[in-house]
Amino acid sequence: MFAKEKTVMEENRVRLICKRTVVSTKPVEQGRLYRFSVFDHVMEPNHIRFVYYYQSSKTREPGEITKKLRESLAYTLNCYPIVTGRLVKETDGTEENRWKVKSNDAGVRMIEARATGTVEEWRRSVNREEELKLVHWEDMYHLPYYWSTFYVQVTEFESGGLAIGLSCTHLLADPVCAMMFIRTWADLTLTRNMMTPPIFHSLPPRRFSSHKLSNNQLLSHYIKYCSLTAPPLNITEDHMVTITLLFPDPMVQSGENEAGLTAFEILSGLFCVCVSRAKGKRNELTDMSLCLDVRKLLRLDQSYFGNCMVYHKVHYSKPVKAIDRLLLLSYVVQEIHNVTKGLLDYHAVMDLVEWLGSNNNNPISNGSDLVCTNLENMGNPRPMMFEEDLMLSHLSCYVEGPVAGGGQVIVLPSSSGDGPMSRVVMVSLPQREMVKVLEDELLQSFSPVLLWRLQNKKINKD
Amino acid sequence: MSQAPMPDFSSSVKLKYVKLGYQYLVNHFLSLLLIPIMAIIAVELLRMGPEEILNVWNSLHFDIVQVLCSSFLVIFISTVYFMSKPRTVYLVDYSCYKPPVTCRVPFATFMEHSRLILKDSPKSVEFQMRILERSGLGEETCLPPAIHYIPPTPTMDEARSEAQMVIFTAMDDLFKKTGLLPKDIDILIVNCSLFSPTPSLSAMVINKYKLRSNIKSFNLSGMGCSAGLISVDLARDLLQVHPNSNAVIVSTEIITPNYYKGNERAMLLPNCLFRMGSAAILMSNRRSDRWRAKYKLCHLVRTHRGADDKSYYCVYEQEDREGKIGINLSKDLMAIAGEALKANITTIGPLVLPASEQLLFLLSLIGRKIFNLKWKPYIPDFKLAFEHFCIHAGGRAVIDELQKNLQLSGEHVEASRMTLHRFGNTSSSSLWYELCYIESKGRMRRGDRVWQIAFGSGFKCNSAVWKCNRTIKTPKDGPWSDCIDRYPVFIPEVVKL
Repeated sequence: MFAKEKTVMEENRVRLICKRTVVSTKPVEQGRLYRFSVFDHVMEPNHIRFVYYYQSSKTREPGEITKKLRESLAYTLNCYPIVTGRLVKETDGTEENRWKVKSNDAGVRMIEARATGTVEEWRRSVNREEELKLVHWEDMYHLPYYWSTFYVQVTEFESGGLAIGLSCTHLLADPVCAMMFIRTWADLTLTRNMMTPPIFHSLPPRRFSSHKLSNNQLLSHYIKYCSLTAPPLNITEDHMVTITLLFPDPMVQSGENEAGLTAFEILSGLFCVCVSRAKGKRNELTDMSLCLDVRKLLRLDQSYFGNCMVYHKVHYSKPVKAIDRLLLLSYVVQEIHNVTKGLLDYHAVMDLVEWLGSNNNNPISNGSDLVCTNLENMGNPRPMMFEEDLMLSHLSCYVEGPVAGGGQVIVLPSSSGDGPMSRVVMVSLPQREMVKVLEDELLQSFSPVLLWRLQNKKINKD
Repeated sequence: MSQAPMPDFSSSVKLKYVKLGYQYLVNHFLSLLLIPIMAIIAVELLRMGPEEILNVWNSLHFDIVQVLCSSFLVIFISTVYFMSKPRTVYLVDYSCYKPPVTCRVPFATFMEHSRLILKDSPKSVEFQMRILERSGLGEETCLPPAIHYIPPTPTMDEARSEAQMVIFTAMDDLFKKTGLLPKDIDILIVNCSLFSPTPSLSAMVINKYKLRSNIKSFNLSGMGCSAGLISVDLARDLLQVHPNSNAVIVSTEIITPNYYKGNERAMLLPNCLFRMGSAAILMSNRRSDRWRAKYKLCHLVRTHRGADDKSYYCVYEQEDREGKIGINLSKDLMAIAGEALKANITTIGPLVLPASEQLLFLLSLIGRKIFNLKWKPYIPDFKLAFEHFCIHAGGRAVIDELQKNLQLSGEHVEASRMTLHRFGNTSSSSLWYELCYIESKGRMRRGDRVWQIAFGSGFKCNSAVWKCNRTIKTPKDGPWSDCIDRYPVFIPEVVKL
């Protein structure tokens, strides 16, 4: 399963063509200042990267699709004044020195690149570092006013196919609205019509009379974790590797027949159990936090632009005895389900919002927890297509920063038409744990398909 | 305090009526003279009665030979007159290039790029920012794609592709508007000051549109922002020599190769002001075009101040201390422009001003020079000679200076200011964008006279006077069609960036 590194990896397969700034086609209303919500502020030190892979059935002139995408991006940006603005820190008496966005019409950076081979060949033989060449990112400059918060990279594969890389700071967007941005851009390119334009507003205030929950687990999690600093990364020993697995039908495989369970819950439970064993924990389960979108909970539209995902730790109410692993899995899934359906409710979130607004100035860190992010519903209702013949073949998502915790499991929709219940999972774990997890029989019983071969320069053979 | 303004107002009103009366009297002097003469003749005729008139007629002894000779003489003189009259040159139509919205450069993007490229000279970036704030440009001006890159890639290839984009689009539009076939073009003049490849841009046009092999083509380069009117002058002279011909003029400025990459302040100005644009104009001396032509060329006056060293060096392309090439604009540019304008006005004044103004100017001149009276030089009122003014949108300072010198109102310079705001300084084609603005506003009526003034390096001041041939309907498409309703806009003195 572990192949030696190929010498072909030494050549630079991705060739940078140019870097430029794409601006909206209409001038923005000058001087508007957008404030961030409490959820935005708490996510500040992190950033997100996405790579969308498209396969094409039509041959095109090199540069043709890039030009078209650049033009449609310019039209898309008309609806995103926050994205084309720049960060400023302004004190206006009432609020202390916090970031705001000044919509000054500066635009987003766009990088154009070419890669050799086809999308398929690339995905078969690439690892995390290589993949990140398809997404451009620049850390904040010394002068933030000239720093673009969003970066788009379009890489054309010489033998067919396209990769679109989007990176942005977590201060402005969470993975849900970053994916909605791509969706809006795709819709505009394909149909010249923007079907889901973004909505910008502040978080709505509490609707009902406030009654503070006596036992708000979400709030206590944030209270504890907002004062944590990120744990030091043991880079020399054990750095993170990322693999992508396709689960054809996790629900059926698990044998769970309780109504109301989602594939995300089952897959998170599965990885919790496997990672716990990989860490060598005999009678306990690893700490796990769920990253969940609360737009629906707060009655917000899915096109609400801004951070709206919270981290909820899973608490294990009973002590654990690791005898029957399937029973263990069932137990963990139940606990996860309790969180998503029970503990995470409107009042809990509103308490959190109020606490963040009044007491907290620190960003959140997930320590060394395993973080499971739910993005499984982002493929609905229609696929994200830029052109008729471009099929989305794969989607990669990276979240980096203190919220990445000690390992990440991101559940994404599957795009290759394997069935509505199939899911793609991107798993990032320290190398040693990853090796053990992949060998775990419980995981293997779900018949995952390894979409990437594990390629890593610093593999230590056990 | 309240006492002082009143007498001024009343005296100025009286002065206004006096002026009006004087102008009417002098300008219509001949017709005013004619009325009493006709009245006297009519009275005489009525007094004489029909018999006496017949007697007078018979006494003239008209002989058949005399009649024939005199009629031949009349015919001969009129033939000589018509033959020696210069051919009327018409402007059939023109089209201005509208840059794609994806080439738009807002101030913030321009400053950001500047900052990223000139990392080591923040003072130069500051300087550019101050220029941009006071420039009078808007947020919709466009730069060519090569300048959008970080860092910009001003290669020859990119310059050629910009030239192809702006010139061919404008020409395609012109062909569509006028129904002109490429093979019917007799004269082609292309002017582009700063980009002069081999083969020339006119050869590029001939190659693209497969023009005739006996076409008379010219490529004017290095002649600055007034090259547009120089091309018109050349076309006019050629159309005198070649009967029944048409001429296509392409006026443009290619920005790509001239992006100054250094940090000398006087040379950074063009980066901030020059933008992408071009115009294609069809001129003709054919009788058949008389009915559909938009304008008739009345006068074209060229003034060159190159003999004076200060004027010659005021816009100078040179290498800076680091060897980077840029255009150095001297500090007394405005003063020199004023001088050039005065020289030009002195020549054009007698051609266009009504008799009333010329008389006043003559009297003021006599008074100052011969009698050495301490009078201020009389500035003739050009508003009487022209309905519309197109002042080259070289920069806000140029327009302000000319508005002051010629005593023009805000509405007269509106076309220039709005063109500067929407398109920036597009060099030789800016006059055509301004003309298009006036047409788009529906202000151009038959018989209206337009004065186009252009300045250029050297230092040159060229003027063209056009007379509108037919009332022009608001164009449906064109560079202003999607934004004309937003104009005129108020342009603040300083835009806060």
